Parts: sequence; C-alpha cells; structure tokens
Amino acid sequence: MKLWLILGVVALVLLGLFLSVPFFYRPAGVGEEGVMVRRAALGAKIRGLDPHDIGDTTSAAVGGQIFETLYTYAYLERPYRLLPQLAEDFPEISEDGLTYTIPIRRGVYFADDPAFPGGEGRELTADDFILAWKRMADLNNRSTNYSSIFAGYVEGLDEFRAYTAEVDRVDYDLPVAGLRAPDPHTLEIRLVRPHNFLLYWLAHLPTAPVAREALEKYGEDLVNHPVGTGPFRLVGNYRSNRFSMVRNENFRRELYPDRAAEELAERGLLEDAGREIPFIDRIEWTVIEEAQPLWLAFLAGKIDSSGIPKDNFDQVITTDRELSPAMKARGIRLIKAEDPSIFYYGFNMEDPVVGENRPLRQAMSLAFDRETYIETFLNGRGMVPTGPIPPMIPGFREEKGNPYTRYDLDRARGLLEEAEEIAGGPIPVLRLAMPGTDTTARQMGEYFRIQMSRLGLEIEVDYMTWPKFQDAAKTRSHQIFSLGWLADYPDAQNFLLLFYGPHRSPGPNSSNYSNPEFDALYEEAIALADPEERIPLYHRMEDILIEDCPWIFTTYRVIYALYHDRLQNYYPHDFLYGTMKFQRVRSDLPDSL
Amino acid sequence: MTAPEKSRNYWLSAGREVLRRPRAAVSLAVILFYLAVALWGFTGWKTPDWETENFEMAYRPPSRAHPFGTDIYGRDVLAKTVYGTRVAVSVALTASVLALVIGLVLGLLAGYFGGWIDDLITWLFSTLQSIPYILLILAFAFVLQDRTFTLFGAEFRIRGINAVSLALGLTGWVGLCRLIRGEAIKHREREYVLAARALGSSPGRLIVRQILPNVVHLAVITFSLGFVSYIHAEVILSFLGLGVKHVPSWGVMIDDAKLELFRGVWWQLAAATAAIFFISLTLHIFGDAVRDGLDPRLRGERR
Amino acid sequence: MLSYFIRRILYLVPILIGIALITFLLFRVVGGDPVDRVAGRYATEEQKEELRVQLGFDRPLWPQPGRLLAGDLDGFARNQLFGHFASTFTFRFGRSEQYRRSISEMIRSGAGPSLSLTVPAFIIGLFLQITIAMLCAFRRNSRFDRTVVVLSVLGISVPYLALIIFGQAYLAGRWGLFPIYGYPERFGFSVVRYVALPVLLGVAAGLGAGVRFYRTVILDETRADYVRTARAKGVGEGGVMFGHVLKNALIPIITQVVVVIPFLFLGSLLLERFFSIPGLGFMLVDAVAGADWPVINALTFVGAVIYLGALLVTDLLYALVDPRVTLK
Repeated sequence: MKLWLILGVVALVLLGLFLSVPFFYRPAGVGEEGVMVRRAALGAKIRGLDPHDIGDTTSAAVGGQIFETLYTYAYLERPYRLLPQLAEDFPEISEDGLTYTIPIRRGVYFADDPAFPGGEGRELTADDFILAWKRMADLNNRSTNYSSIFAGYVEGLDEFRAYTAEVDRVDYDLPVAGLRAPDPHTLEIRLVRPHNFLLYWLAHLPTAPVAREALEKYGEDLVNHPVGTGPFRLVGNYRSNRFSMVRNENFRRELYPDRAAEELAERGLLEDAGREIPFIDRIEWTVIEEAQPLWLAFLAGKIDSSGIPKDNFDQVITTDRELSPAMKARGIRLIKAEDPSIFYYGFNMEDPVVGENRPLRQAMSLAFDRETYIETFLNGRGMVPTGPIPPMIPGFREEKGNPYTRYDLDRARGLLEEAEEIAGGPIPVLRLAMPGTDTTARQMGEYFRIQMSRLGLEIEVDYMTWPKFQDAAKTRSHQIFSLGWLADYPDAQNFLLLFYGPHRSPGPNSSNYSNPEFDALYEEAIALADPEERIPLYHRMEDILIEDCPWIFTTYRVIYALYHDRLQNYYPHDFLYGTMKFQRVRSDLPDSL
Repeated sequence: MTAPEKSRNYWLSAGREVLRRPRAAVSLAVILFYLAVALWGFTGWKTPDWETENFEMAYRPPSRAHPFGTDIYGRDVLAKTVYGTRVAVSVALTASVLALVIGLVLGLLAGYFGGWIDDLITWLFSTLQSIPYILLILAFAFVLQDRTFTLFGAEFRIRGINAVSLALGLTGWVGLCRLIRGEAIKHREREYVLAARALGSSPGRLIVRQILPNVVHLAVITFSLGFVSYIHAEVILSFLGLGVKHVPSWGVMIDDAKLELFRGVWWQLAAATAAIFFISLTLHIFGDAVRDGLDPRLRGERR
Repeated sequence: MLSYFIRRILYLVPILIGIALITFLLFRVVGGDPVDRVAGRYATEEQKEELRVQLGFDRPLWPQPGRLLAGDLDGFARNQLFGHFASTFTFRFGRSEQYRRSISEMIRSGAGPSLSLTVPAFIIGLFLQITIAMLCAFRRNSRFDRTVVVLSVLGISVPYLALIIFGQAYLAGRWGLFPIYGYPERFGFSVVRYVALPVLLGVAAGLGAGVRFYRTVILDETRADYVRTARAKGVGEGGVMFGHVLKNALIPIITQVVVVIPFLFLGSLLLERFFSIPGLGFMLVDAVAGADWPVINALTFVGAVIYLGALLVTDLLYALVDPRVTLK
C-alpha cells in the first residue's frame, strides 16, 4: 500500500514535470544573453579529425573551423583568389621552380590544450608543418591524401614513406631533405620536379599543421583530440550526436575582408568590413542523419542553415524555382549556386566482373535514367553531366555531350549482349555500396536496382554508414559504389587526379582506374605551368574516360541553401570550409516559427 | 486402458464457446480474410501488380485507379499492401510453426524425462529468456542476414524473408516450452501414465499418445497469441533494415512513409498502419476468445 | 533470507555463462571470421594472417580436449571460446569497428541517457497502469471498465512506430510543444525538456498492454476467498480494493513487472533513434546499420546483464514483501 503511494508520488511528480514542458519550452533562440551561438547540423557522422585524413565534406565542415592552412581563399572575391593565411606572404619560388621559401606568420598560437605545458597553446612554427606532412606520408596512417598532394614531388619524402613501412616505431625527427625549417618562421620546400598545384594544396585542409605536443600526448587517439590554430576549438567529444566549439582565446587578430565581388557586395556582405573576427562565441553541432528531423529542426529555428530535403522541396520552392512567400515571411532566405561537383556510381576496376568488361559498364550507364533521378531525388537541382569536369571549372565543355549519359535502353541491351560474350555467360549478381543507411539512401539504392533490372541485371545493395563506406573504399572492397566529388580548387586536374593510376586506393582514385594512355597525358598536363595550355590535354583525358566509363556519371549538382535571416555574412564558398569566423547571428530578430 | 484425453466434446464445445461471441466470430472472419489475401498473393494468380514503376505517377493520392494511391516510384500502394500481407503472414506462420515445433519437442522431452535433459533444456531457455526479446531478435536477425551454410555438402543461402522467419522462430519457442514442460511434468505422474509405463510402453509412444494430447490446447493458445507478436516483430525488423529486402513489407512502407508525411503524402502510412492495426486487433480478440474457450480454469466463470 | 539471496545470485552464474556462450555462437561461430570484414576484399592472404594473429583469431575456436589430456594446459586455454569468456566477463569488449572507440567507454557514456528515458517511463507507466487497472476492478463491468478494455486492445494494436512518427511530426514539429530531437551534452535540468516527449510517447505506447495485463492480475486476486470474506463482513468496496486486494495483488504484480521491462528496451531503441538520444538503444541501431559486430555483441551481453539485474531486484522485492518465498 505504502509502496503504491510512494510510486504514485514519484510518478505524478515526473508526469507533472514532463507535461509542463510545452508551457515553458520555446524553440531555441540565440541562447544566453550576450553569447552568440551558431547552430549547425551534420548529415553524417564525422570519420575523424586528424588533418591528414580529412577527405570528406562532413569532417571538413567541422575541421575547417579548427584547423588552418598556409594559404586560403578570399571569402567574398570572385573569381577565387588565394591569400596567405598562416603564411606571412606568398612563397619565394626559385628560378627552376624547385624551391619554395615560405615565411610563417608570427603571433599565431595553437588553442589551449592539456597537451601543452601549463595547458597553454604555444606559437606556431615551421616544424609543425613538417611534422604534419611527415604524418601524411607515414604509410601506417593510410592517408588518402598523400599520393595526390606530395607523392613524387618533395625531395626525400617518398623515401621517408618507404621507411615508415619497415620500422615498428616511426621516428618523426628523421630529417627529410625536401622539408626544412632554417628558422622557426621559415619553411623551405625542395621539390624534385615542378609542382604546378602546390599552392592550391597548401590551401587545402589536410595540409594543416600538427603540434608535436599533441601527437606525443594523444598518439593514436589524436583523431579524437584535434588541436589547431583556427578561430574555434572543440569542447567535448565529437563522437556523440552533439558537440560544441568555443572561441579560441589564442586566435590572432584577424579582420573581416573589405573586398567583395559585386553581386556579393550587393547582398550586404561587406557591412562588417574591417571588424575583428570571429563574431560567434560558440558553435553547436548536431549530427542528425535522417532528413525529416533535420528539416523540422531548421523550420523551428534550431539550426541556422540547411539544404532542402527532396520531400519538402515543393512546399518551399515555387514552380519558378523561387522561395515561397510563406518561407520569406518567416525570415528564411535562399541562395542558389552552381556547385563544381560530380556525382557518380563508380566501378572498382580491379574487380574482374566489372573492371574487365567495358560494354557492361557502358550498358549500365545507358540504362540509368538520369532525368527521372534528378526530378525524383534532387527536385531538378542537377544537370545531366558530360564527364568528370563540371561547370565553373575551366575546361568544362557544355556542348560536348556524352553518348553514354543518355537514357537508351535498347542500345544498352545491345551492349549487354556484347558484355555477356566477354563474360562467357550471363552477368552474375552485382553489388552496389551506398554510403548511407537512412531512408533516402535506401530509396536511391532501390532506384538503381530498378533501373538495372529493366536492363536485365540483378543488383544487391549494401547500405553502410559513411565511416564504414570509406574504410571499405580504402581496402578496395567495393564492386560498384555511389559517391561524389567536390572540387578542392578551381582546376580540372583536381577531378582528373581521381583517375590517375598511382593514386589508387588507399589514394583518392577509389575506382582504382589504371590506363597508361591516360596516365601519360596526365603527367604531361601537370608538368605545364600555364593553366590554359593544360586544357586541351584535359579534354583528351576526359574523352578517354567518356569511352572507358569507369564511372556512371550521374549529375552535376546545383545547391539550394536555406538560412534564417538572423544568420548574416553567410555565403557558400566552393573551396573554403572555415567560413564560420565571418558569420554573425543576430539576436534582435525574432525566431522563425 | 484409455487415457482421459480431451474428448471430442471438449474441442467442439470449446469451439462453440469461442464462436458464440460475435466479436470472436467477426475477428475470425477478418483473420481468415487476411489469410486468404496472403494465400492469393502466394499463388500469384491475377494478383495486383506492385512491381511496375511509373515515374510519372509518383505520389498520386487515392483514386479509382489506385485506391490507396501511389508511392515514390509510382507503384500502387494497395498492391504493396497486399504483398505486404503475404510477407507478414508467411513470416509469422513460418516463425510460429518453427517455434511451435521446437517448443513442443523440447518441452515434452524436458517434462517427461526430467534429469539432466530437463536441466539442460531449462538452462537453455532460461538463458534465452534472459536476453530481452528485442535484443535477441535483433542479434539473431543481424547474424543470419545473408548467410551461406554448407550442410551435408549442399549450400544454403539465407536471405531476407527466410532470415527473419528463422530468427523469430529460433527465439520464440521459449514461452511455449516452459508451459508444455510444466504440463508434462504434471501429467507424467498421473496413474494412467505410470500404468502405461508399467505395461512397457516406449517413452516415445507414451509421450505422443498420452501427454501430447493434453498439452495441445496450450500450443493452440500460444500459437494464436504469438502470431501477432511475430507480425509486429517483422515490422520493426524491416523498419530497421534487417527484414525483407526488395519486396514490399509493411515495415518498409512505414519507413518510407515517415518522410512522405512532409509532402502531405499520408496514404502509404495509413495503409500500412491500418493493415497492421486490423490484423493485430482481430488476432488479440480471437486469441483471447480461444484462451477463454480452452482454458479449463476460466471455463464456467462468468465475467 | 540471506541464504535465499545468495542462492538467487548463484543461480545467475550458469545463466551468464549461457549468455556468453550464445553470443559466442552467434557472433563468432555463425558470424564467421571478422578478418574478412576488417581487412577488406582484396587484402592478401599474408595481410589477413597477420591481422588474424593480431586480433587473436588464429587460435582454435573451441578448447581442444586433446591438449588437456596431453598436459598442455596453456595450449588448452588458448582458444577463442575462453578468450571470448575472458573479455566478456571483464567487460573488455574491444573497439568499435566503425568509430575505433573503446566499446566499454561508449557503453558507459550511453547508459545515462538511456536511463533518463527508461526510468521515468517505467515509473510513470507502472503507476498509471496499476491505478487504471485498480479502478477498473473497482468498478467492474462499468462503462469505465469496458471503455478501458476496448481502449487497451486498440492501444496494443497500433504499431509503436506509427505512434512515434505521428507524435514527433505533430506534437513537436507542427505545434512546437516539445523539442524535436536532441539531448543536452551535460547532464542537468535541461534533460527534462528533451526527454519529455519520448517518455510520454513511451508511456502511451505501453499503457494498453500494461493495463490489460494488470487488470487481469487484479481481477484474479479479487476472486480469492479473503475478498469474499471481507465483503461479507461488510467492508466497503473501497476498503476491500485498496486495503486488501492491492496489498496482495502487489505480489503477483511485482513478479510480473518484469514482463514490462522488455518494452523499455524496445522503447529505448525506437525512441532514441527518432529523438537522437545518445543512449544504448541508439548505439545498437547505429551498430546494426553500420554492421558493427563487436558493438552488437557487447550490447547483447550487457542488455542481458541489465535485464537479469532487474529480475534479481524484483525477486528480492518479492522476497521482502512475501518472506514465505525464501523458504522454498
């Protein structure tokens, strides 16, 4: 009897507590008084925050606020322009193009971290870059970035890489001839041949510096304890679904840019010119892999910016592709931008079934109805592609066309017959790997399966989480996989390197494509210093890829980004990830609900 | 010497008792309807086409041509619901039969023989019962998905529907086993059993002819009540991605539906939910009626 | 009393061994060699062998009696089964295949959020279920009773999934009464805000089954002799119900409470997934999606241990309420 009373009291108290929530709960405002909070959402879990291994947009979106690179892009200028960031100035390049002398900016400090003596972050030196790049070269770290950035260029680094395979414990103090620091604020890079893209890579997040103290303290666990020089630092564990970043107290004095392209200036993006950044005090990240809760959260004002899930598109965008009046009334804004990206289904060329059967690949490419795909899953926010080089990248050929990206089931069937002859019988069940386990991923996988079944092929779809998917790619375990690539810098080489033989897994060439003719053209192109001269070679390479079909090119993407107008100074940049330092969240505007 | 097994009259009067209530009769009718639909789906004769996609017709609301509307690929939702019925019923049936067989056999063996056999079997089901059900079926369904076995030289591949049925069947026998074991223990000490043993009956014959008939009613009750839980389990497994693949199932429909609600597409969620709701409801009502009819304790009691 | 407790605890030992055996059978024997999964399809035999040795999979699966007879105690002990037992019972589950995080650490951080969901749901749910069931029995066959019976049967027929989807989309999404999803980083008062809607949905989902069940239990109790005696003596219905029946019904209620606990596990799974609560249920769903075998293995065992713990507690409570049982 008494037990029941006790139970009753506790239960009623709890019930009262929960039922009172609707009365006190208001969707998130800007947080406590005087603290500016930026709320962002991630659609997938982060694989890791170790600079050398950052290879996907999710990790980069987060890592970009913590880490910085030698060079960066001007946020608001178009066409894109490089600027020194951690470097004091552009490098002094020797006559033969083989020596780069880079002055390191003074007064840059790592964020406070227990790894440093007294917990205080110390000043950045040239050695921090050397350490970071040696780690990228270390075979045991299995970095996807080494082969495309440094391999074959930096004196002594490839030898260092070979050395790391032979020993149990790698000594990072072992000198590498091509990476020297004559004094703490000078970095000297010596190359064995001219590297025409080095500057772009030095603006790429994976080349961020690493503090030795952090490496010594965290070792293998460094991936969970990022220590950077950027405007924000991580607090808490990013492995959970929610984590925060706060201002890096040691961040140097940096100012909001005072130059912008005309159309950006017209949007009011120069209002804060000359002011000290960052404005934001805290960033709250939430991982939410399902489209529906993410969308609801955006509408309720819980996150500041979002894409538009396919199922909500029609409520938000009118038929002339503008934001609906209802949305505008709620203080939501739209930015439309072309995205230098390509989405595709890749074939693992080392797999005997698909890799050695060109007609099969071509047939599958012809059997995939891209237009319906773009309508159904992208609400028309995409274009049927030519090849791997997307719009906005010099070298894009709009009129060229690709015979295999048309939808032609009859021709596909004809090619399938050829394919069966090569295979010596009917094609066995094929496996598609999808990098997502949510409903939309399932629907896309199903769509692919349906398309191929119309051709007469049977597909098994494996749904994997993003980290697992990437791991499988590194070990070459996929047969067919769905992926995309977003440009790292405005040169088509960034796309074509994905097909260069020596870049095979664990490098970025996830399809392990290897064609000597292509490779020769590639090597020729990258040796040319003048970007204009490279373009004809790029075209020839693209022609080879169009015929050889190592990918089913699916779509170029168009971005529709939504944001609440309390978020200011927000504008997508194709190559820059660390843009939150420019943004501001106004608290005097009412929340949209 | 005849054993006092449940006479024909028992079953007949039980049946009449069950069907006397209009609720039970209606429920039975609905259940039979579902079974009929499932069977029809199985034969495939003039079954509605769930497979043909028509991208022009995506997300159409209910109309004369498509009474339950269409889905993301333009497929008819009514047809999918019908196919889903077949999936749900076949999974639940297979799992129920499997669980029944295992539970019956093990329960009888444990109850009758006692000793170390009993200890072993008791230990087995106590252990299985200690793992929370949802965890248990998840673990089994996860491990069994897409597995290839070599048994006696032949290769078996378990996929989709079979994996789910197997997972549910291999884990669902515990309740019945316990009950049957209890009954078997009670009965083995009865005079007629002892007498039969004295006369030299083999244990096998004894079990089958003397004890089995006295526990059948338990099996029937458990079967009907368990069926419904298998249907719900399949829905959850399919929703989590461990269920059937590539063919419609109510669980997968609900998974699609949760996104669709945002574009105002309510029909797929409604169809799947309604389908699940009615079969669950009727099975519960009918199961209760069966239990009331067969359980000697409650016979003669007026509620 | 003490000997009863000790007996109860000792009884758990063979069960725990059994569970560890089952996880071994499922995840190692049936599940196969993790090396293929981890090393990838195109790893060379050499690399796989190396990995196998590293992870301890080159040992025989089962203990080999031959070695024992030959006096090779060490060789006998070096097998995967014993290894599995050792790591399972010391709760050293290794690292997650997906995230490379220590699984024990993941479990530790996930326990809090899960409990903050299941404990309130359990308490509130239990209280409401018993109270409603009591009221039904109190007013047997009244309109109230019959309505409740109908509602409960309807309640258990509605799929849990649909309830959560609707609840989240309308109560939180459309009408903004509750947060849509999430969980605060640090445990504090704000937990209430995020846990409110999932708890309420969980309670609503379990109400039908619980009320139905306890109503039967209590009704059974009311048929007992002492009730007739009390009524005959003229004790008012209220006194009969709340004074005697409840007290005695508590015994079977307590023992049957364990029937409800598995619902908490299920609820934990679905609710955590939809509401992004970083508990053990979410961890499990995530591990299933990511094919993270070591995590699923660990959670199966841990889940069973938790369940057994709950069973033990109920048994002890039962013993406290009715000491007669300890004499068995």
